Amino acid sequence: MADALLPSTRINLERATVLVLDDNGPSLDILSQVVSGFGVKQLFRAESVMDAQALIRTKTFDVIISDVQMPVTDGIEFLEWLRKDGGEANRYIPVILLTGHTRTSQIFKLRDAGSNYVVAKPLTPKVLLERIFWVAREERAFIECDSYIGPDRRFKHEGPPPGTDGRRKDDLPAEVGDAQTPNMSDDEIANMMRPAKVQI
Amino acid sequence: MTVRKFRPPNRLASLIKDKGGILAQDAIAAAEVGVESLRESSMAALDESLAEIERRFGKSAADRAAEPFEVLYHLASKVIDVSLFVTDAGIDKAAMSLCGLADSCAEAGAWRWDAVDVHLNALKLLRAVGAELPAAQRDAMLQGLYQVSHYRPDEA
Repeated sequence: MADALLPSTRINLERATVLVLDDNGPSLDILSQVVSGFGVKQLFRAESVMDAQALIRTKTFDVIISDVQMPVTDGIEFLEWLRKDGGEANRYIPVILLTGHTRTSQIFKLRDAGSNYVVAKPLTPKVLLERIFWVAREERAFIECDSYIGPDRRFKHEGPPPGTDGRRKDDLPAEVGDAQTPNMSDDEIANMMRPAKVQI
Repeated sequence: MTVRKFRPPNRLASLIKDKGGILAQDAIAAAEVGVESLRESSMAALDESLAEIERRFGKSAADRAAEPFEVLYHLASKVIDVSLFVTDAGIDKAAMSLCGLADSCAEAGAWRWDAVDVHLNALKLLRAVGAELPAAQRDAMLQGLYQVSHYRPDEA
């Protein structure tokens, strides 16, 4: 799991090449200002999926940040295209989707299209930087099969479904053996479980 | 079915750790300064979208029944896009509720004009005095909108 972003964390995005995509000009301006503020020098803007596809065919990006709700071709279709036909240089890169409202019918589509993270609008610099940091540090494997191309969706490994042996090589059996180490103390458990907010 | 599981190189991971750079708090502060420079244009864009919603979907719009559900959804999305400066007025949340309403109308294949009118009136009120309203009153208004639109913010 990626470390949390702290105010004192040093980040360097000067050499990162970033594509931002949003059909709404004023919204794209906000997104561009935020990303520029993070120190990104190579920032490419696209106001349509077609523009974004043209850029992807000619440049290598390090992260893409895209709106979801767009007319003609939306962010989901764009991402599906990227993961399948975006070319070897770009098809595996982190993609953060932005959405103001997630349609009921699209909740699973956002994940299943192969996004690394979904961020709610209205956008705030703090949240976006946390998510960029998160996708830069995450250690999720990539899955490629007929029906899905994208980051492993099962990144919370809670074991195989009940009544099955699981499909992963590292799936553990349901039967639990004898404990190999002493039980943890209450303090140790509390330290491990206590939620900690990011302070910026 | 063949499933390939692998770890592609994450260029961003190595770049972000490069020597130099800036502190996260400074990056956020710089971004906030940049965004602040867009306040005026964002508010103009927000008012433009609200005006278009009223013009096409308000009570006095003669042909509103002929408008596609998608148009209202898209216009409400545009309000959310630039609502960063009016979150204290609750406009972002009211627009999310309107998106939810447009979506549910699209699924049902029928407009619910009473619900649309309530949202448009609420948006006008919130734009005018939303930030000055007592928080409890503003929250009660938003909860009312959620009930009308069946929008569930915890699931969105």
